[in-house]
Amino acid sequence: MFHELAPQLFNGLVLGAFYAIVAIGLSLIMNLTGTINMAHGSFMTLAGYLAYSLVLRGTSFWFALLAAPLIGVLVGVLVERTLVRPLYKREPFYSLLMTFGLSLMAEEAFRLIWGPNGVPFSPPPGLGSAVSLGFMSFPTFRIFIAVVLVVAIVALALFLTRTRFGLRLRAAVQDTEMIAALGTNTQVLYAVNFGLGIFLAGIAGVLAAGMLGLSPTSGNALLMPAFVTVIIGGMGSLFGSIVGGVLVGLVISMTTLFVPAASEVSMYVLMAIVLMVRPRGLFGEEGIFG
Amino acid sequence: MSGRRELLVFAAAAILFACGPLISPFIHVDLSILSEVLVTTLAVLSVNLLLGYTGLPAFGNAAYFGLGTYGAALSVTYLHVDLITAILVGALAAVIGALILGPFLLRRRGIYFGLLSIAFGQVFYFIAYRYTDVTGGEDGMQFPRPPFGPGIAHVAINGLQFYYLAFVVFLIAMIAFHVIVRSPFGRTLIAIRQNEARVRYLGLDTDRFIFVALLISALMAGISGAMFGLLINFAYPLELDWHQSGNFVLMMILGGAGTIWGSVVGALIYVIGKDIISTITPLWQIFLGALFVACVLGFPRGIVGSLGSLVRRGAPVSEDVSANEAFDANAPVEVGRGV
Repeated sequence: MFHELAPQLFNGLVLGAFYAIVAIGLSLIMNLTGTINMAHGSFMTLAGYLAYSLVLRGTSFWFALLAAPLIGVLVGVLVERTLVRPLYKREPFYSLLMTFGLSLMAEEAFRLIWGPNGVPFSPPPGLGSAVSLGFMSFPTFRIFIAVVLVVAIVALALFLTRTRFGLRLRAAVQDTEMIAALGTNTQVLYAVNFGLGIFLAGIAGVLAAGMLGLSPTSGNALLMPAFVTVIIGGMGSLFGSIVGGVLVGLVISMTTLFVPAASEVSMYVLMAIVLMVRPRGLFGEEGIFG
Repeated sequence: MSGRRELLVFAAAAILFACGPLISPFIHVDLSILSEVLVTTLAVLSVNLLLGYTGLPAFGNAAYFGLGTYGAALSVTYLHVDLITAILVGALAAVIGALILGPFLLRRRGIYFGLLSIAFGQVFYFIAYRYTDVTGGEDGMQFPRPPFGPGIAHVAINGLQFYYLAFVVFLIAMIAFHVIVRSPFGRTLIAIRQNEARVRYLGLDTDRFIFVALLISALMAGISGAMFGLLINFAYPLELDWHQSGNFVLMMILGGAGTIWGSVVGALIYVIGKDIISTITPLWQIFLGALFVACVLGFPRGIVGSLGSLVRRGAPVSEDVSANEAFDANAPVEVGRGV
């Protein structure tokens, strides 16, 4: 079984990186504004479809990989400014409900525009092959995905710890009023922070479209594992989201290999075990979301 | 509402629903849709008890609803039980589900409770989805409507009789719900919504109150699910999905959180609206999504909640709830305040 185990472990890591990056986007938005963004999966799907349409019109995959998430960010910030912003002073529950409604509308809109069935979205020719490592071979595209996702996470970490804006963002999570009193425009912070989360979702959405397929519900399929990732990693902790994502990815890929019938349920079992031992999640911070 | 006026409203609603079979041809709504309204109201009430009264974001009640449906479907298919037994089996399945999930859910409050409810609820969805041999998997399972009860009651029942069965269950549930939320137990739940820490300081074990509320909620959702399955003679995994939970929450918000009548109005508008809009356009889901957005942004206190304040004060509803109202246990609320 070893010749299956190694590739499946690698698949689990790639899957985990997806969950991690989606979970980080969710966490960014959740931590700063207390908004539970149920439409996060829709933004992934949107970016995927936009990339598909761009490539269909003759642009390169590389252009689409960057442009589609950016268009997604424009839509995202527009949504944030008009629909999410009024909910900031209310309970997180309302944002959950509102964005849930948005995701329902988006799903139907995708169906109208791009058809009810999945569309083919293949990686560019250069990434279509496989790399042989002697005892096994990896699809090049998955290695590429892993690299992009890791680079994105590292870049985000540097942005949050090394730039002035990133520091303000993190400070605002701690104490928004103080940051506002010190002269930072918190509304700009909110909008940029939301856009950042959507950008990560967009990148993941385009890559996932090439690996997992593209249909009106494909992004939403990644949303639930991402929420489980946030809960396992602990709310409020971005590092927790990375660890949680990798754990969830590995658990899913391993159960898919050994107990296929339990592949969907396994991550919930993992979540239950983690919560029994650590009710706040692995790296959950005291005081955030009770 | 004063006690006497409430009794009048209750009587009026009871008479109206009792005349349902007469009304349905005039409003071009099938009687089975009215049965669905009655049955769905129970599920909305189950969300209301947790969310509207106790302030817990119950975003996972479809799990108990679906357990009810599958409990009924499986017992009818494999054990050939009668209708009443099937409902009881469904209700029992839902309560057992809550007994299993409760200890996990109780660990957290606020929005975390909501996310845990969604996530753990999905376990049941995937079980129904995966065990194709038993449950029919994604295609769901069709089953015949069983005879009514054991012994002398072993007779087939038609749609009209089913409607009146749903009506009786609806009446019992409404009265029981009313009694529960007015009891010291119900008052404690409301107090937990307003300030759980303070309730704890008074020496009450809030975890235990919430657990009991969860079990009552699951019981109601289970009965609702079982009857829904028996109404359409069908069980399918999406009944267990968190989208279904979202729909229940929407109905509750639409009608008004923390009011009994809100749940009835919410279920009525949602079920009939869905029936009408679905026949006109295939884009029901867009309307549904827009309804979510409009409810949250436009009138978070729901139809009954907004009307109630209009009647009470003779003044338009303001966005913010006055300090006075926060201590009025009967006042319609924005969900989750003080969590």
